[in-house]
Amino acid sequence: MSTEAITDDLTTRTENSPRELLVRAFFFACAVLSIVTTIAIALLLVTEASKFFTSTAHLFGVEGETATIGEFLTGTKWRPNFSPHRFGVLPLVAATLMVVIGSAAIAIPLGTATAIYLSEYATPRARSFLKPALEILAGVPTVIYGFFALVYITPALSVIFPNISFFNMLSASIVVGIMITPMVASVSEDAMSAVPDELRQAGYGMGATKYDVSVGVVLPAATSGIVSSYILGLSRAIGETMAVTLAAGASAKLLLPVNPAAYLEGAMPMTAAMINLLTGDITGGGLAYRSLFAVGLALFVITLIMNIISDVVAQHYREEYE
Amino acid sequence: MSADTETRSVPEFGQVSRTAGVVFRYLLLAATLVGIVALGVLLVYVAMDAFQPFTADVEWHLTYLGVAVLPTLVAGAYLYWRDGPGLGVAFEFFGLGSVSLLFAGGIAALFIDLVPSLVWLGYLIALVIPILLSVALTRIDHVVPFWVRFLAVGVVGVLSLIGVPGYYHSVPEMVVQIPIVPMDWVILAVTLGGPMAAVVGSLFAGRRGRSAGLRAGAVALVGVLAVAFAGPFLGIDRVPAAVIGAIALVPTGGHVAWTLLERPRERAGLLVPVLLVAGIAAGTVVVSAAGFAGPDTWLTWEFVTGLGSGIGDPQAAGIYPAIVGTMMLMIVVALISFPVGVGAAIYLEEYAGESRLKRIIDVNISNLAGVPSVVYGLLGLGAFVRYGGLTPGTVIVGGATLTLLILPIVIISAREAIRSVPDTQRQASYGMGATRWQTVRKVVLPRAFPGILTGTILALSRAIGETAPLIVIGAPQIFDLPTTLSDRVGAMPLQLYVWATTFADPAFYTTVLAAGVVVLLVVMLAMNSVAIVLRNRYQTRGES
Repeated sequence: MSTEAITDDLTTRTENSPRELLVRAFFFACAVLSIVTTIAIALLLVTEASKFFTSTAHLFGVEGETATIGEFLTGTKWRPNFSPHRFGVLPLVAATLMVVIGSAAIAIPLGTATAIYLSEYATPRARSFLKPALEILAGVPTVIYGFFALVYITPALSVIFPNISFFNMLSASIVVGIMITPMVASVSEDAMSAVPDELRQAGYGMGATKYDVSVGVVLPAATSGIVSSYILGLSRAIGETMAVTLAAGASAKLLLPVNPAAYLEGAMPMTAAMINLLTGDITGGGLAYRSLFAVGLALFVITLIMNIISDVVAQHYREEYE
Repeated sequence: MSADTETRSVPEFGQVSRTAGVVFRYLLLAATLVGIVALGVLLVYVAMDAFQPFTADVEWHLTYLGVAVLPTLVAGAYLYWRDGPGLGVAFEFFGLGSVSLLFAGGIAALFIDLVPSLVWLGYLIALVIPILLSVALTRIDHVVPFWVRFLAVGVVGVLSLIGVPGYYHSVPEMVVQIPIVPMDWVILAVTLGGPMAAVVGSLFAGRRGRSAGLRAGAVALVGVLAVAFAGPFLGIDRVPAAVIGAIALVPTGGHVAWTLLERPRERAGLLVPVLLVAGIAAGTVVVSAAGFAGPDTWLTWEFVTGLGSGIGDPQAAGIYPAIVGTMMLMIVVALISFPVGVGAAIYLEEYAGESRLKRIIDVNISNLAGVPSVVYGLLGLGAFVRYGGLTPGTVIVGGATLTLLILPIVIISAREAIRSVPDTQRQASYGMGATRWQTVRKVVLPRAFPGILTGTILALSRAIGETAPLIVIGAPQIFDLPTTLSDRVGAMPLQLYVWATTFADPAFYTTVLAAGVVVLLVVMLAMNSVAIVLRNRYQTRGES
């Protein structure tokens, strides 16, 4: 390169050169795509769901059968494919709630214990084995978890509960619980690792044992992060689709989530209902197609609210220790 | 316990019981292991169903145990006992060999069924032309203004890749019309083996000088050609033999050569794979000579390459269309999500500063990562199929939907990788007068690349297992081999779902379905292990 060229380079206003602007514009477009995605999701769900409800359908010029919001939110029958159509979302919500309760019963204790072990007890060598193993646990495709529930776990459960049905909420809850445990564990562990060492040392200085420090100091100090991990994990359990579709079945019965015996029966969570709606050709935009978006909107809103709560709770502990 | 007597001598401090602590500790460990052990047990079950090991003769098991498994284990145990570094080499060999063989098989399938090698050559040339032009123009950087260069490269690129319909043929179209061309396997051996040979050559050149590098590269290229030529004598067609030679044998052979020449203390480790391969070969000879029956396994070559959907006849079921479908989807997803995800991450980390917009995008991305995958399916169905007018369930619709699904994950992991590049390096670059883009391209991206790659591979392995979005966008339940981007496509997890539901036949559950699960798990574990190995190497390097 000649000296002339170098001077040329230094005297050009490089920050606003066309190359810089072009590159910058490309990166900006990539970043904005995420906002476009969110807007597209929200817009699509809201408009298609509006066409589903009687009170809003005429705004979009939709003719034909619709459902009332009241029936959707309080109806106890879900029968989208056969006449007379019934679009009560309660059975689906109850089944989803059962998956959430069942998987929480597994993932919360296991995930918290795993997080304490990894953060406070495990040697670096043990961590180097356990962390990838947990990642693989989280990475196994959910359809395979559904297969496990259907083919291996339900027969094993039928030894203990002879009257368990082929499709049942118990096996679905167990696999979803196993699936979300790594997520609960890793977010909780991050929160525990963020607890300053001074707190632990103060505990040891007072003569506390490792057990006292873990349970009495680290756990309370990391509470907000741990709670946020629970909410995040449960929001994943709500959105989990293939495992519950395979394991929980397709009968939209209204079961009582607080009744333990109900877990031996099959029901249809919201996500499974969406997959089952798709068995026919519904791209034409009929009532079943629009009900898909109504359920999807409910799912989206619930998980979004839970994610936001989890975010807000997590912010709380970040502010405390930085 | 001695601790008891000590505490008793100073009673005012009270007694410290360690029982609760010890019990607690082991409870925690047990809880940590519950999920992992459960998964392990389930994997054993599914492997049993897929391979049916108990249907084989006892002699068959004993033969392989005697000639292959035991010698390998003994050699491995000896290396472990000697505590040398050799065992690591054995693991590297197995890892590299099996993963590269897996990928080679996938790529070979693409060349056999989808892309004629001549078309591949055409697109390769069409891509090389604008790149060469761009390099040439950069050499005379200061004579030609940027806009002119940009337009010239863009126009030439479009002309060579797409052409002008009706007026001017694109390069691939012209290449296909050339009357005299080399044979398929020669094209593949050179175009795939050439770059691999160049990599091996440059590695050797870096350590042993230019001439050694040239020799290594030449040996690799000639080796690929020889393997491709010799393929039919070993029962493999020349096209897959060329691909396997280039993608699997060159890296594995390079690793062996490197170990023999450069790591004398670890040479002994190569004994383990040699024993295993020789043992399996010997076992095969013995078994076929003595007539011992092998297991009646479901995971056969016919299953992996079979086209049947398995309706009514589980024996004829094959997962090949689903494998090819998954590969096409993943190619589309990788091609879109990598540049877009990295671009977004660069904007947020290097360009955005602390603006309001950045905070909004931040919150938005973390929320998008939590949106259930089935909702992304609805987005694809509504945006691409209903309003975009595309056919439901095609490769392009599926790929675009899965891309939107994994973009937040790619962005988040790429941002972490970019953030881990020390600020001092950026400041040094700016201090020398580099612009932002020069700094990003020459300083930040090279350092962050392994991390970005790891995150992308992990995101892709998540996309491979996704079923729900594909069902929602209308992927067909029974599908043929897809050949173009606008064909309707199935994928491996979708095939499993279909086998589990559509033909709800218990005969499927522990036979064909189990075999399919093993195939999907092997692919997913291979991708995950590549990512984890990459990350571990990268992290240890970063610390040292």
